[in-house]
Amino acid sequence: MNLAWDDALWAAAALSIDPCGLRGVWLRAPHGPVRDEWLAQLTRLHPALRRVPGHADSERLLGGLDLGATLHAGRAIYQPGVLTQPDPTLLLLPMAERLPDDTAAILGQVLDQGQVPAGRQQTAQDTFIGLVALDESLEDEPPMAGGLQERLGIWLDLRHMGRAGGEDDNTRWMLDTLPSMDLSALRAHALHLDMEDAVVQAVCQTAHTLGVDSLRACLATVKLAKLLAALRGSDQVQEEDLGRAARLVLTPRATRAPVPPDQQAAPPEAEAQNDSPPDQPPPSDPPEQPPADPPPEPPGFDPQDMAELMLEAALATLPADVLALLADHKTAAPAGRGQGRSGNRKPSFLRGTPLPPRPGNPRQGARLHVLATLNAAVPRQKLRRLPSHSRAKLAIRTEDFHVHRYAEHSPTCLIFAIDASGSAALHRLAEAKGAVELLLTQSYARRDQVCVIGFRGTQAEVLLPPTKSLVRAKRSLSGLPGGGGTPLACAIEQCLQVALAEKRLGHSPSLVMLSDGRPNVSLQGQGGRAQALEDALTLARVWRGHQLPAIWLDTSARPEPQAQQLAQAMGAHYVPLPMANSNRMAQAVQAVQSGNTPPATATARAAWQPNAPSAQTPVWRNPGA
Amino acid sequence: MAIPFPFSAIVGQDEMKLAIQIVAVDPKVGGVLALGDRGTGKSTAVRALADLLPPIHVVKGCAYGCDPQSQLANCPDCSRLKAGSKIATESKPVPVIDLPLGATEDRVVGALDLEQALSQGIKAFSPGLLAQANRGFLYIDEVNLLEDHLVDLLIDVAASGENVVEREGLSIRHPARFVLVGSGNPEEGELRPQLLDRFGLSVEVRTPQDLDQRVLVIKRRDAFERDPQAFRDSCAADNEALRKHIVKARKGLEKVHTGDDLLRTCAQLCQKLGTDGLRAELTLMRASRAYAALQGKKSVTTEHLRHIAPLALRHRLRRNPLDDTGSGTRVQRALEEVLGA
Repeated sequence: MNLAWDDALWAAAALSIDPCGLRGVWLRAPHGPVRDEWLAQLTRLHPALRRVPGHADSERLLGGLDLGATLHAGRAIYQPGVLTQPDPTLLLLPMAERLPDDTAAILGQVLDQGQVPAGRQQTAQDTFIGLVALDESLEDEPPMAGGLQERLGIWLDLRHMGRAGGEDDNTRWMLDTLPSMDLSALRAHALHLDMEDAVVQAVCQTAHTLGVDSLRACLATVKLAKLLAALRGSDQVQEEDLGRAARLVLTPRATRAPVPPDQQAAPPEAEAQNDSPPDQPPPSDPPEQPPADPPPEPPGFDPQDMAELMLEAALATLPADVLALLADHKTAAPAGRGQGRSGNRKPSFLRGTPLPPRPGNPRQGARLHVLATLNAAVPRQKLRRLPSHSRAKLAIRTEDFHVHRYAEHSPTCLIFAIDASGSAALHRLAEAKGAVELLLTQSYARRDQVCVIGFRGTQAEVLLPPTKSLVRAKRSLSGLPGGGGTPLACAIEQCLQVALAEKRLGHSPSLVMLSDGRPNVSLQGQGGRAQALEDALTLARVWRGHQLPAIWLDTSARPEPQAQQLAQAMGAHYVPLPMANSNRMAQAVQAVQSGNTPPATATARAAWQPNAPSAQTPVWRNPGA
Repeated sequence: MAIPFPFSAIVGQDEMKLAIQIVAVDPKVGGVLALGDRGTGKSTAVRALADLLPPIHVVKGCAYGCDPQSQLANCPDCSRLKAGSKIATESKPVPVIDLPLGATEDRVVGALDLEQALSQGIKAFSPGLLAQANRGFLYIDEVNLLEDHLVDLLIDVAASGENVVEREGLSIRHPARFVLVGSGNPEEGELRPQLLDRFGLSVEVRTPQDLDQRVLVIKRRDAFERDPQAFRDSCAADNEALRKHIVKARKGLEKVHTGDDLLRTCAQLCQKLGTDGLRAELTLMRASRAYAALQGKKSVTTEHLRHIAPLALRHRLRRNPLDDTGSGTRVQRALEEVLGA
């Protein structure tokens, strides 16, 4: 008995019948036996499965000029793109989490419109594709691009499934009979299945209860339920189909846990009563039926009952901890709103500020610089003989090819680590928050990404993963409570993780640490100042080893030698801020970010004259000046 | 060809539909920016436009879809065609062009025609998306995630209505007057103020929370997918009525009177809200006029203004990025103050 695996197989079967109706599946699973088994089943059901590499450029996807053939023949030769498929076809997309934004955008557009957009030389063509997007991202990595997630109907998560197999008899019967059936007839049958209003209502109700706002999800649920009914050989969509469809479409998208039935308010029940005639018998709970002959259905459904049954079914495969998380509103969608990024994109062939062209092959996204290519070819014309049959006027060889080059600036990400421990909270937490808000305004002007990490008690927590949305940054900041120990080592470790992840994405991270540098909680979460300091120093050195820029804003009442020592170990610029205000902090950070060292004089003075803070009030003075 | 979902069959989304109708009546209003979650039907509404609007007459053979009536031969194709004998015309649907996020610069502005350059050594221009969108709509999904260099391009072209290409040894200018339609989810990133300013109206789109509405959406979509042609035919009468309505409003637009005191109110409102430049006033005035024309009225009233002001102004407020207060509320408040006084 393995309900999740059953669901996965039914999903594969439904996909093989109607790839373009369902738009595809977002399959989250590591490379392993479970995924391989599922893909093997899918390939058996749908032999036309085609693999599309993630690095395929738009020319290959949408179709375009076949450069090699064109040059050879001396006339334009076009090749159709992979996305143009006149018959319903599933396309397999490996490494979907590394899909470049532009490819994801193209795929989303094609899925939405059901046609490949008109290119320069061709008109728009209808296409019937569904995607099998294989996403291997780990928990802390950004998943596949959100726009594409949204469009794929089925979300399948096989990450926590120990083993494949254990399907029940119904499933096995379906898998055995499906290859011998006429898929297009089955598809048409599913399309024209009649749905009662109550069924649609139940779907919408369930989606609402689970906090799924997208109407695409509701549509996909309805469509999948119809396909599942058709697969069972039935003329009626039953609760079984709805439950399974909900598990495959709605449950993974859930953003909130349903209110337990006993807390549910009575009014919806009453409304439902009014909607449906009272004399209807409640649908008898049909046990698992042999698939060949469905039982006669009760004359009508009660939408409310059905929604409840559906909800129950939808939650059947959801682990309890996920449910608890949802109930706490800890996570928005479990999938997150990932952007999906390809790797380091700093040297770019595609976009950015143009650089001079250089010889190279127009492949893998590099674009031919026509003018430079022609320039290179012209002097050699006399040496080259064109074949007599060629209509070309120019003999161009591959060695003439020049490609465009661009320098792409990499976005910066500012990581704020905020000490919210008791000692810091006492004086400075409010001030630190103020400073961060000012800095946020500046980053807004520069379109930086920001990330906020708070630490107190025994752990550091990413309050806000890197984002450009400053409203969210502010919200996470204002919700930061103070008090507890100072787990500095944990904080540096957490910052390092985020910074390295950002670096992998091709961004330039820099850290702003706001702390008084008095660690008293070790990496293991134990108390004790000596161990805590040692751990912090060790991690500070690790940070330094990665050569990531950092600035340490000492928030204690007077400059703390220990903080200075830590900052030095990190290779961070140390800025003591006795009696500083938010403005000064912001100025100091800006100076570090713009590549200047922070004002040495001010730093020194502040360090040497800890007791005379009123002597220096460089609030309006630009530290760089 | 895939059949678009009929505009008149879209459930709810009154604000979005109104904004689209307003720019369809008067393209000078500028573009529409639709902000909201995914899966709320923004794309569907935009893509239904081509089917809704009456077809346009174009010069046959002109890649830029120029108007035969226009005396200005400012496009390379037309100046060639008009120099010759009488020009042929044809009618085609209003272009609604998708600009995908990752589009390359030369796909957007146009580039050297690779085919002709390679095979014949001819330097010819191959028009890009901006040329295709001329006299129509340019739709950008997830506009807030658009790459900066594309934003720069759009900001320039959207303001001037002309695309100037100076690259790869080409020197071409061609008309590119289009209505910019953008959609996106503000949670995922902000838009540059300059680009925001190019959008005439902004609407906030939410998923209908009403169960019946959602059921209706699903049912209509289901019916559409069963038999697109039949569903379209069933909505044809409504679509036709809507089209006539828009055509009538276009004709009536010239005659709509805008009083001086109303303009004064517009200016007061914008002053109160501290919007930059005069574009806010102009857009507000134009949009209110188009709205009045849609209502079949001969003059703009404060009621029209009240209805349109949030759409035209809420994205223009000089905003503190850390201020959570919805800008819609601020516009409402200013409206109360100005109109109430």
